[in-house]
Amino acid sequence: MERCEHAHMTGIRISKGWIAVVLCSLTAASSAGSDVFTDVLKPAFEAKCIQCHGQDGKVKGKVNLLEIESLEDLMADTELLSDIVAVIDYEEMPPEDEPQFTDEKRSDVVAKLDGLIAAAMDEKKVYAHAPIRRMNRFQYNNAVIDLFGLKCNVFTLPERMMRVHQDSFKPETGMMADHVQVGNRPLGKSQMIEPRLAGVAAFPQDLRAEHGYDVQADHLSLSPLLMEQFLKLSQSITGSHDFNPKYVGAWDDLFAEPTGDYDGDAEVRARLLPFLSRAFRAPVENEVIERYASYAELQLEQGVAFTEVMKSLAAAALASPKFLYLYDEASESGGVEALSDFELASRLSFFFWGSIPDQELLDLAAAGELNESATLEAQVDRMLKDRKLKRFCDSFPTQWLQLDRIISAIPDPKKYSDFYYSKYRKSMHMAMEPLLIFETVLIEDLPVSQLIDSDFTYRSTLLQESYEEDWPEEVELPRGKNGKPVGKGGVTVLHFNRMPVTDRRHGGVITNAAVMTMTSGPERTQPITRGAWMASVIFNNPPPPPPADVPPLDEDEKPGDEHLTLRERLAAHRERSDCKGCHEKIDPLGFALENYDPVGVWREDYENGREVDMAGTLFRKHEFNDVIGFKDAILAEKDRFTRGFAGHLLSFALARELGAADQLALDTIAESTAKSDYRMQALLKQIVLSEPFRSKSNPRTDLSLAKTE
Amino acid sequence: MNTSRRNFLRGLSGTALSLPFLESAGIAASSKTVAKRMAHFYVPIGVVRRGFFPGEANDVIPKGNLGNVMKSLGEQDPELSVKTLDHLTPTMEPLQGLKDKVTLITGMDRTFQQGTDVHAQCASCYLSSAVAYEIKGTAWPLNRTLDHLVADQIGGETPFRTLEFSCNPHNDNKESIYFDNISWYGTGHLAPSIRDPRKMYDRLFSTKEAKVYRDITDLVLEDANALKRKLSYHDGQKFSEYYDSIRTIELQMDRLEKMRAELANVKFDAPTDAYLPRGEFIRLMGDLMVVALQAGLTNVATFMVGPERWDTPYMFDGLFDKPKSHHQMSHNQTKMIDDLMRVDKFHMEQYAYLLERMDSIEEANGTTLLDNTLFTYGSGLGDGSTHQYNDLPIIVGGGGKETKSGLHINLPEGTPLANLWLTQAEMVGAKMDRFADSSGKVTQLMA
Repeated sequence: MERCEHAHMTGIRISKGWIAVVLCSLTAASSAGSDVFTDVLKPAFEAKCIQCHGQDGKVKGKVNLLEIESLEDLMADTELLSDIVAVIDYEEMPPEDEPQFTDEKRSDVVAKLDGLIAAAMDEKKVYAHAPIRRMNRFQYNNAVIDLFGLKCNVFTLPERMMRVHQDSFKPETGMMADHVQVGNRPLGKSQMIEPRLAGVAAFPQDLRAEHGYDVQADHLSLSPLLMEQFLKLSQSITGSHDFNPKYVGAWDDLFAEPTGDYDGDAEVRARLLPFLSRAFRAPVENEVIERYASYAELQLEQGVAFTEVMKSLAAAALASPKFLYLYDEASESGGVEALSDFELASRLSFFFWGSIPDQELLDLAAAGELNESATLEAQVDRMLKDRKLKRFCDSFPTQWLQLDRIISAIPDPKKYSDFYYSKYRKSMHMAMEPLLIFETVLIEDLPVSQLIDSDFTYRSTLLQESYEEDWPEEVELPRGKNGKPVGKGGVTVLHFNRMPVTDRRHGGVITNAAVMTMTSGPERTQPITRGAWMASVIFNNPPPPPPADVPPLDEDEKPGDEHLTLRERLAAHRERSDCKGCHEKIDPLGFALENYDPVGVWREDYENGREVDMAGTLFRKHEFNDVIGFKDAILAEKDRFTRGFAGHLLSFALARELGAADQLALDTIAESTAKSDYRMQALLKQIVLSEPFRSKSNPRTDLSLAKTE
Repeated sequence: MNTSRRNFLRGLSGTALSLPFLESAGIAASSKTVAKRMAHFYVPIGVVRRGFFPGEANDVIPKGNLGNVMKSLGEQDPELSVKTLDHLTPTMEPLQGLKDKVTLITGMDRTFQQGTDVHAQCASCYLSSAVAYEIKGTAWPLNRTLDHLVADQIGGETPFRTLEFSCNPHNDNKESIYFDNISWYGTGHLAPSIRDPRKMYDRLFSTKEAKVYRDITDLVLEDANALKRKLSYHDGQKFSEYYDSIRTIELQMDRLEKMRAELANVKFDAPTDAYLPRGEFIRLMGDLMVVALQAGLTNVATFMVGPERWDTPYMFDGLFDKPKSHHQMSHNQTKMIDDLMRVDKFHMEQYAYLLERMDSIEEANGTTLLDNTLFTYGSGLGDGSTHQYNDLPIIVGGGGKETKSGLHINLPEGTPLANLWLTQAEMVGAKMDRFADSSGKVTQLMA
C-alpha cells in the first residue's frame, strides 16, 4: 500500500528577470480606471482560471479569483500572487486537459504578475521573522566544543550520520581524498562509541520541523524539563573528569590557576571579558562582567580553588539565555533593516559551522566591517576552507535529502535477502554514497548539476556489489599487507573509493541505492513516494496536502492485477479529476525511476515479466524514454533545480520557512549562480550576499495590535 | 521470596496481587485532604472498531487504505443513550474485573482542521481541540492543553505541575513533534515527555544537591532580564518560556526538598538499562506514573503508550515474533485484523493493569488512589484505517463516588470531545466556563 506524501506548497519558480518591467505602467494607468489588472490579468483569469477558482462556488485549492476585484486586492496578498505566478510559470495551471495559455500570453501574464510582486514588495517589504530559539543539541554540542576548544565531543549524536575515521575531510585542499574511511553512526556497529566527555548525557534529539529543518526556529522552544537538563548539562560538562588540560584547549586562558602571587578578583575579570564575549557572541557590558565576577568573588572568599571558581562561571555562562538562545535584536521600524554586524557573524557561523562565531568574525563585527560585501565574500571563502565546515555536511545534506528515512528502511528479508549481512543492513553503506557526493561537490566547488548527474561517485566494495556491478578497471583499491583489497564488507569502518561514473544510470544524489531504497516499501517500489520526494527535495515544490473529502483509492492487488505494471495498477490516481492535478505533477517524477528496484538495483522487467514502463514528460516539456533521458530533462531545467536548491539552503540558513519576500532574492541568487557556472561555493556565497540573509524585520512593538486599536 | 520488583512484575503481572509503593500511612493519607488527580492514557492510531465498540462486531471491515474517508463506515447510534456496561467487547475484555470502575463513552468527535497531517493533529490536538481556524498564525487547532489548564488550578502545590510520560520506542527521527506529544503549554510550545524510565526515576527521586542550581539561576535570570529588553514584541512573548522554566524549576526544588523525608519511604527500585519486553516496559513507565500520583509529586499526568503513525516496526514482545508497524497494519485491516486486535487488547491490558495498581493503593477514608483519580483511556482517531475524527474510543476510569461508573454512555452525534474535558476539569476541581470547542458538559458522567 502506498501513502501519498503530501506537504505544504511553497511557491518556487525560475527567474525570468522581470523585476524592473512593469512598475511604470502600473502606477501610470491605475488612475484612469484601467490598469494592468483590468486590462490584462482579469481577462486572463476569466478566460482560463475562474472556471475552477471562483465560478459557481467552485474554489479548488481554496483559491477564489473572483474575490479579487481590483489591483489593490491582488497586490494585498503577495503570498497568493507568488503562488499564482508559480503555477502559471511552471505550467501547472491550467490543468493539462484544459485550454492552455499561448506561450506568449503566459509570458505576458507572468511578467505582469512578477512586476506586481516587485512593486508590492517595494512598498511594504517585510521578511518573515525567525523567532528567538534555543540551540538544538547539534548546535549546542558544537558551540561548547568551540567555546572551550574541546578535543572531543560533548555528546555523540546519531543525527551526524557519517563518521569520518581518518582525517580525510580537508576542505582547505579543495580536494576530496580518493579513499575515505567512514562509519554510519545510526546503522553501523559501535559507531556511537567515540571520544566524548565522560558523564555528560545528551538532551533528547530535536525532532525535525514539519517540512523543514531541525534548526527551524518555531520548533525550538524551552520547557522546565529541558531547562533542568541544560542546568545539569552545564554542570556535568565542567564537572566531567575529562574536562582537564588534556582535552580542554582553552584551559590555560580560562581555567589554569595563575602562577606566583596573583589578585584573584582581577584575574577573574580579565579572563571573563574575552570568554563571555565569545560565549554571548556580542560585546559584553561592564555590568555583566561585574555580575559574574561578584559570583566568583563570593566563592574565592569561601576558599574555593581558582580553577573550580572558573569552572562554575563557565557552567553558569552555558546556562545563560545569552548563550543558549539564538536571536536578532528588535528593529525599530516594521520594515526591513540590516542585521547588526554581530548578528551577521552569528548567522554566518551557525549556517556554515552550526556553532558560535570565531574570534576573526567577532573582530570584524567589532570593527564594523563584516557587512561589507567584499569582507563577506572573503569570510565565506575562509569559512568554506575551515574544517568546521564538516558540521554543515553533518546537518544540511542529510536533512535536505531526508536521508534519515534510510534508517528505518527494511526491505522484505525473503525477497531481498542480500540486503542483510552479518546481522546488519546494507543501508549502512548506502547512506554514505549521496553524502560523499555532496561533500565532494561542496569541497571541490563543482557545479550543482553534479548533484543530479555526477561523473564520479564513492562506493565501498560491498555497495558496488549490491548494485551488481564490478569495480571499473581504473579504480585502484587500497590493499592490505596480503595484497588483497581492504574493507570488503565492513560493519564498523567502511572503506569507500572514488570511482568515475561513465554509465549515467549511476551517479548523483537521486539514482543511488540509499534514496531508491528509502522511497520504496518492503516489497515494491513506491513511485508516488519517489515522485513526492523528487518534487520536494529536487525541485523544492512539495505537493499540497490532499483534500480530506477525496474518496479512497483501492490499492490492494486485485485478482487479475498480477499481470499489470505498477503504472497500470496505480492508474486510477490519474484518472480521477480530484487527484489528477497533483498526481499529474508528481507521478511522472516517480515512475521515471522505476528501473531501480526497492533496493536500488537496476531492472528492465518486473517480476511478472512485464517491461518497466518509465517514459514520461518532465514539466510537460521534456520527453524522456530512459533514466538518462530523465536526467537530461532535469539538467535542461537546471535553473529550476538551482533555484529550488537555493531555497532549501536559504531556509536552512535563516531557520525559517521562506515567504513571498524571499522569492525575489532566490531569483537573484539563482541567476548569479548560473553566471558562475553553477558552482556550489558561488551559490553559497550568493546566499550569504542576498538581502534576506543580511536583513531582519523584527519590530519592537506589536504592529498587529497597533492596527486594531 | 525474592522481593525484587522486576521479578515480582514478571511473575504476577496483571493479576490481583500488587504491593504498594508506599505504605498506606504514606503521604497522601497523612495530608489533610486527599487531592483530586487526573491522568490520560493515550492510544495511537485508533482502534479496530469491530473489536472495540459494542454492536459493531459484524460491521464492515475497512478494506485497503481508507485514510481519506475520515468518517465511520458503519452506522452509529446518533441518539443519546445511557446503558449499564454489562457485556464487554473483545478489546475491552481485560477490564472484566473493573467493570464497575469504568464508563465507556462513545459518540465523541473532534473537528479536523484542514492543512496538517491527520495523525499529527489527532495526537497533538487530542487534549486541545480548539475551534478550527481560531488560533491565528498556526496551522494547528492547538492551544494550551487540558492537563496544563487543569494543573494551573490543581497542580500549584505539587513539585511537578504535570508529568508527561511516553513509551515511544523509536530511535529514528522519522516524525515531527506533533506525532509524539499530546501535552502542550500553548500553541507551538511543547511540554516534552520522558521516554526513558531511568530519566523519569531520576527526575522524581533524585536527591542531588540543588543549591548550586540556585546560585546559577540568580545569575542567569539577570542575563535574561538584560536580554529581554533587546527583544522584539513577539520574541519577548516567546522568551517568557525561559523565565517560566527557571521559576518552575526553583519551585520544584523547594517542594522536593520539603518532601525529601517522605520520598525516602518510597519503595521503588531504580530502573536499569536492561531491555524490557514491550509490556513490562509500558508497565514500568506506568508504575512510575502511579507512584508519582500517589506520592503527591504531581496531580496531573499524561501517558502516551506509543506515538502516532511512525511506520518503523518495533517489537510487541509476546504478541508477534518479529517487529511490526502498528500504523501499516492499521491500513491493512482485511489481512491484519486479528493482529491489530491483539495490539488493541494488549494496550487495554496495560490500561487495566494501571487501573488495578491505582485501585490497590489505599488513601484516606477508605478510598483508593483510583477513587481520587480520573484516569481516561482514549485515542484521537475513531478508527486507524479511516482516519475518522468522529466517534472516538473513550473510557473514563476511576473518579470514585462522584463519577457514574459501570455505564456505556452514547452521546448524540457530533458531541465535541471537549465537552468531556470540560466535565473532567470540573470534576477534579478546576473551574472553567468553556474549554476549547466545547458546547456543554457530559452530565451523564457526573454523580
